[in-house]
Amino acid sequence: MTIRYRKPDIWALVTLIGFAVVIIFLIYPLFDVFKYSFMDKTTGAFSLSNWKEFFSRAYYMRAFGHSMYVAIMTTIFSMLLGIPLAFFTSRYKIHGTNLLNTLSVLALLSPTFIGAYSWITMLGKQGFLRLFFASIGINLPEIYGPFGIILSDSLQYYPFISLMLAGALNTIDRSLEEASENLGSRSFGTFFRVTLPLVMPSLTGGALIVFMMSLSNFGTPMVIGGNYLVLSTLAYNMYTSEIAETPGMASTVSIVLMFCASIVIILQNWVSSRRKYSSMLVNRPIQKRLTKGKSFWAHFICYAIVALSTLPLLVIVVYSFRNTNGPVFVDGFGLESYRQIFFDVPKTVINSFTYSLVAVALIAVVGTLLGFVIARKKSFAVKILDQLLAIPYIVPGTVLGIGFIVAFNRKPLYLAGTAVIIIMAYFIRRLPYSVRSASSILKQIDPALEEAGINLGSPPGRTFRTVTLPLMRSGIVSGAIMSWVTSMNELSASILLYVGKTMTMPIKIYLSVADGYFGTASAMSTILLIVTGVSMFIMNKYFNRGSETFIS
Amino acid sequence: MTSIRIVGLQKKFGDLAALSDINLDIKEGEFFTLLGPSGCGKTTLLRTIAGFYRQDGGDIYLGDELVNTVPAYRRNTGMVFQNYAVFPHMTVYENVAYGLKVRKLPRKEIDERVKAALKNVHLTGYEDRTPDKLSGGQQQRVGLARAMAIEPRVLLFDEPLSNLDAKLRVEMRDEIRTVQKKLGITAVYVTHDQEEALVISDRIAVVNLGKIQQVGEPWEIYKNPRNLFVATFVGKINTMEVALKEDLGSGLRRATAGQLSLVVPSAGTEGRTEATLAFRPEDIKEVGPDKNGQAKDEDGNSFSGLVESVSFLGSTASITAKVQGTGIVFDRHCPKEDDIPAADAQIQISVPYESCLLFDKQSGARLGSGGLR
Repeated sequence: MTIRYRKPDIWALVTLIGFAVVIIFLIYPLFDVFKYSFMDKTTGAFSLSNWKEFFSRAYYMRAFGHSMYVAIMTTIFSMLLGIPLAFFTSRYKIHGTNLLNTLSVLALLSPTFIGAYSWITMLGKQGFLRLFFASIGINLPEIYGPFGIILSDSLQYYPFISLMLAGALNTIDRSLEEASENLGSRSFGTFFRVTLPLVMPSLTGGALIVFMMSLSNFGTPMVIGGNYLVLSTLAYNMYTSEIAETPGMASTVSIVLMFCASIVIILQNWVSSRRKYSSMLVNRPIQKRLTKGKSFWAHFICYAIVALSTLPLLVIVVYSFRNTNGPVFVDGFGLESYRQIFFDVPKTVINSFTYSLVAVALIAVVGTLLGFVIARKKSFAVKILDQLLAIPYIVPGTVLGIGFIVAFNRKPLYLAGTAVIIIMAYFIRRLPYSVRSASSILKQIDPALEEAGINLGSPPGRTFRTVTLPLMRSGIVSGAIMSWVTSMNELSASILLYVGKTMTMPIKIYLSVADGYFGTASAMSTILLIVTGVSMFIMNKYFNRGSETFIS
Repeated sequence: MTSIRIVGLQKKFGDLAALSDINLDIKEGEFFTLLGPSGCGKTTLLRTIAGFYRQDGGDIYLGDELVNTVPAYRRNTGMVFQNYAVFPHMTVYENVAYGLKVRKLPRKEIDERVKAALKNVHLTGYEDRTPDKLSGGQQQRVGLARAMAIEPRVLLFDEPLSNLDAKLRVEMRDEIRTVQKKLGITAVYVTHDQEEALVISDRIAVVNLGKIQQVGEPWEIYKNPRNLFVATFVGKINTMEVALKEDLGSGLRRATAGQLSLVVPSAGTEGRTEATLAFRPEDIKEVGPDKNGQAKDEDGNSFSGLVESVSFLGSTASITAKVQGTGIVFDRHCPKEDDIPAADAQIQISVPYESCLLFDKQSGARLGSGGLR
């Protein structure tokens, strides 16, 4: 006899929900962006007029050039900061490496616009450093524009390089380098012929991530860019100027931005797919002790790099305690700025916390279930879903925001102006990370454990609950904390989606900076920094997750 | 105590037939081993019995119950996994109690059964340990205790010893056998290790290419293989292709391989001109030289040869010798250093015709059957 029966199980339902989520909140809004870029503004017919305009007018092409310039320069400077830090901390005995890592990750995870804003308070027109140097006769260059963007982006994103490179350096089996020396190569030659080629994939991988982050960054160029438009701020500007008509140019710019991002991601996948080295780690590399003089300089370089990236955060915290009179700071310290936040705009703080919490809960549940399906079920549909879930990696927040606002501003899903649209933007932007982390943990959990549970008489659902889930817990929670931090600090999509009553802290900070209310901005930024710092602390302390978790 | 009956079982993975037409009758309380090389289908068969795979055809009975559509978690089989599959987030006690809690037994009974199971595998006192504090052997004992605690209808072993080191493997193998006999539970045991299979089993099924090659007691599998695959997979054996020559009467026939000429049994070789000849190293006798320095020809199968290489194995040496152009491996008992021959030493051996097995050159099927010695 032949038996062929299939009960539609819970996992089929999960797959279906996954498709629904991806189609409604990703494909549908992005399709609208595509549609509008190929639509004539006046007639609504299919047309290439937007594209002609983009490529023929210097205004657009210049923004494209600006984006490339900023991204390339940021990548170069991040490498200049990240490579020495990684090399010294992994190869030499540097005191306080954990502190250095923690501080650099704090800079990495803090909202992008905070760093930019802080540099304005230091080097802006009325910046205290600028005034100080002017008083001794040194005129510092203008911070607004490309210099400011590259400065704050590099100091924010260099940990991608330093952490990934240090990770690779720490997993090179010592015997490989010893083998090279045994075969007659000097240590200098060994570095260039063995060590460097082995860590090269991690270095290029890190560099591409920095390039990608800088390319799609919105907060920094918005705050510090001035008239220097890059693609993301251009798309935002086009959208706000096209508010009464179809967002043709905003969509076109968005697609150019997405296209650039996808090329970077493809390169990055290609690089990481060739990264097959560090599997057999028998002998850990040793950290050499340096002689006194050398050790001093190594420490000096490491601490200087990290201090420079922590400085903007410190300035913000100090400024948040300065007394203000309206928009201007006055002498003395106090809690005036905090009082203002909690009495004048408590709703903003509450919004940020509620939206992020709801988004994180959704991300944790849906991400875990989808992660399970992708790791354990090998159907064709699941493979497609896995591919679709990679889309948010290449969609900058600004683009997703524009997609959301055009797609959900009409029936059947009218969400404009609601909290739901912001929560869903948080949700879909972070979901793939959570799915990927859940599925990668699951790949490390032996399926035999689940089979053992079933074999002992426990039905699949109960086995998932009693065996699989507890083993995934630390991964799920650390993923949730990362989602929480990024949602709390999200600006690029939500700034397009908010209305007065759904304002969040990052939006309020941006608006306060724009209006010159630096006190409120500092206090709110400090709150976000504390949230970020505490989340990191919990992750380190209770889940034993090292700094490298934050960059995956 | 439950018997297992498997009738016409089929399982395909895509186009690949993992199992074809498997028929087995495993008796109550029997220790039954599925032996075969990796990828032969033995693990697939075990997992199909456990219910992790659903067969494409055929029936599986546990006792009188047809379990084809019974999901894995209701089959009440106790499986011991290759990589232990001990739950890392539970203590030893919780691991063993897991299946009992699922069955909603009263707490007192759970406690008694866990303690009894741990006692059976000599892990009393380890209740509160977590698996990461246990050695591989101890983890596998937890796996065994956990499977026994639910008092399953059958115990299923999926290469449970292959991750353990050699000494522990021997120890655990004896222990598994002892516990199984003590409890009288039917056991199906999967292994690729023929020595393990011979030692531990009541009966063995040799599996290859998704088919059962032979079912029998260890002795039978070893001494009376039904085809060339079984003969070569279980134990060491010399094989050579031979041309079959004239009938010598009294059930004997001449066979030649190059210059080598032997006397072999004629049963089943009628009308054939060629076959594959096989005989085991330990069946070869060493005979003293005659006055010409040649092998004393006792039965027409004695030869002189030169030692090519020697592998010293402790109590014996495995000697490869060139005998009239053909390499032959045989064992020599070596109590003293002098007994280990040097390369190019002269040896005289005799291959008793009753230890010669003949197989069809193409199909590998045994010619003439059974009745060995």
